[in-house]
Amino acid sequence: MHRGVFVRYERCLGCRSCQLACAVSHTRAGTLAEALLQGEAGGRRLFVDQVGAVKAPSVCRHCEEAYCVAACPAGAMWKRPDGVVTNAGSLHQCVGCWMCVMACPFGVISRGPGGQAVKCDQECLDGDGLPACVKACPTRALVFTTMEEFEAGRRRAALQGAAATASGGR
Amino acid sequence: MRRFLIIGNGAAGLAAAEAIRGDAGRAGGDDITIVSDEPHPAYSRCLIPGVVAGELGFEALSLRPPGFYGSLGFKTLFGRRVTGIDSARHRVILENGTGLEYDALLLATGARPAPAGVPGSESPGVFSLRTYEDATRIAAAAEEASSAVVVGGGLVGLKAAVALRKRGLKVTVVVKSPWILSKQLDRWGAVLVQEALAALGIGFIFGQNPAEFAQKRGRLMGVRLEDGARLAAGLVIVGKGVVPEVRLAREAGINVAAGVLVDRHLRTSAPGVYAAGDCCEVSDLVTGERSPSALWTLAVEQGRLAGLNMAGRAAPYEGGLTRLNTVEFGGIPVASAGLVTARGNGFQELSRSARGAYRKIILKDGRLVGAVLVGDISRAGVYAALIRRRAVVEGLEPELLSARMGANHFPGALAALAGGPAVPQALEKMES
Ligand SMILES: Cc1cc2nc3c(=O)[nH]c(=O)nc-3n(C[C@H](O)[C@H](O)[C@H](O)COP(=O)(O)OP(=O)(O)OC[C@H]3O[C@@H](n4cnc5c(N)ncnc54)[C@H](O)[C@@H]3O)c2cc1C
Repeated sequence: MHRGVFVRYERCLGCRSCQLACAVSHTRAGTLAEALLQGEAGGRRLFVDQVGAVKAPSVCRHCEEAYCVAACPAGAMWKRPDGVVTNAGSLHQCVGCWMCVMACPFGVISRGPGGQAVKCDQECLDGDGLPACVKACPTRALVFTTMEEFEAGRRRAALQGAAATASGGR
Repeated sequence: MRRFLIIGNGAAGLAAAEAIRGDAGRAGGDDITIVSDEPHPAYSRCLIPGVVAGELGFEALSLRPPGFYGSLGFKTLFGRRVTGIDSARHRVILENGTGLEYDALLLATGARPAPAGVPGSESPGVFSLRTYEDATRIAAAAEEASSAVVVGGGLVGLKAAVALRKRGLKVTVVVKSPWILSKQLDRWGAVLVQEALAALGIGFIFGQNPAEFAQKRGRLMGVRLEDGARLAAGLVIVGKGVVPEVRLAREAGINVAAGVLVDRHLRTSAPGVYAAGDCCEVSDLVTGERSPSALWTLAVEQGRLAGLNMAGRAAPYEGGLTRLNTVEFGGIPVASAGLVTARGNGFQELSRSARGAYRKIILKDGRLVGAVLVGDISRAGVYAALIRRRAVVEGLEPELLSARMGANHFPGALAALAGGPAVPQALEKMES
């Protein structure tokens, strides 16, 4: 089962450390200076939106039947055997037609520098196999896990919450 | 063993063949034959302007790796034309008289360029841009020409114009509408794009159609416009849109309007015969109006669903957005989905421009029905998904206009799309 980045919305403070770390990890030199120099033009791979009172990170889900893969007329966007959806390392070069930007209902593919689309490619995993965004998150709102584990974790948390309430709570 | 026959090896035909095979792959055992009058393995039609520009060769256009057809056990008849369908006897006839029997047939015959319909259209030097062969012929002709006229300010015409310009030709685009990309953009968006194209050195003439392609001793001399003006040109590309390729269907007595008519399961009026892609007419999800399909994304989706239906795995087609485009000209990216202008009462248009970027949304009864993004196309997919899902966006207009909105604003409508994890209560409440 392949792992992805999941969000515990209730923990997000909207500090955008994830965005910054993502940008840095995708610069050639891996430096903050280079990331800042590119700024917006670097193309975002994840977003943090303000939804009412909630800060809501948007991350790529590496969909099973990915919309971006189906929409790519160049044959560049593909789902790697390890489950990662990316326009790098496939049969063809991305030509910057931006159909994937339009196809992604989560809005997490961007027009990148150099005329190619950029998106989460998990090319940022560290020695422990953690993505840069997850590692950078100070509140651990982002977790790198499988869907099954994530859902199980949520259920456990919900049950514990219910049990606490039933026993009078604190 | 069932016999599946697919006419057309484009986006729709390819997607259908793969869907019929499904997860079983080659082991599926069904007999799948793909016929195409183009001699090549499937390639990306959208990228052929790169061939005109001399930037891409066939390899770069191919959609599947070498050996693909064999690996999935597809039989291919490429470079062969189907000349007739005998739907009563479940047979198609090839040019050379061979008959092929089928249990299920897919018409994925695409579209062909709409003719200019003026004298001289058959002159050497007058082209349309639809196939790889067209592109190579234009590239060869461009070697000999110093100036070109492109007829039509749509996507294909403008892509052709940019390609010719890259080769150093003087290029003039003749547009009947008051602005370019009139199907994709409103006037303001179009002006931004036109400026970018003008900066590349492309000229424009508006409000005109050609009246004649003038030739002299078998050579193209130029174009005479409706108003009598003459433009010298050694090369003309006609980009006046496409018409669905329906000849086979019509002659077989299959119901056809502007395109082949299909039901929710992409079945035509003839038993066992399906249709998908540019040859079809579909209803637009926003307007409910029928129009030719004419988009890559729709062709892939319809092809896949047609394949599933043909294989007996019932998969209804919910319809699509017949306007959904992205493009970039001269460093200006463009994305547009759904309506580009209000259509009278009950519609609301809101727009915002800042730092060279223009963003417009069109609402009806609190629902998003159109979006035009020029210069900054970030989050474009969220707009398209909201339009497709008929999501209520009332109250979120500022976010929509500033691109500060994502799928999380619409958890019920969008977040579950990928079968992703449940979204928290706090977010769910946000949705109307
Ligand atoms: C230059 C250009 C740029 C484009 N850019 C975009 C874009 O940016 N976005 C977008 O959404 N769309 C774009 N399109 C449109 C897109 O290419 C089409 O929507 C798509 O290719 C349709 O796929 P299809 O499989 O339905 O038809 P086609 O790709 O046309 O394939 C049909 C095939 O069937 C064959 N055929 C037809 N009749 C017969 C017969 N009797 N016997 C045998 N074979 C037959 C044809 O020769 C053809 O090979 C572009 C098109 C062009 C030309």
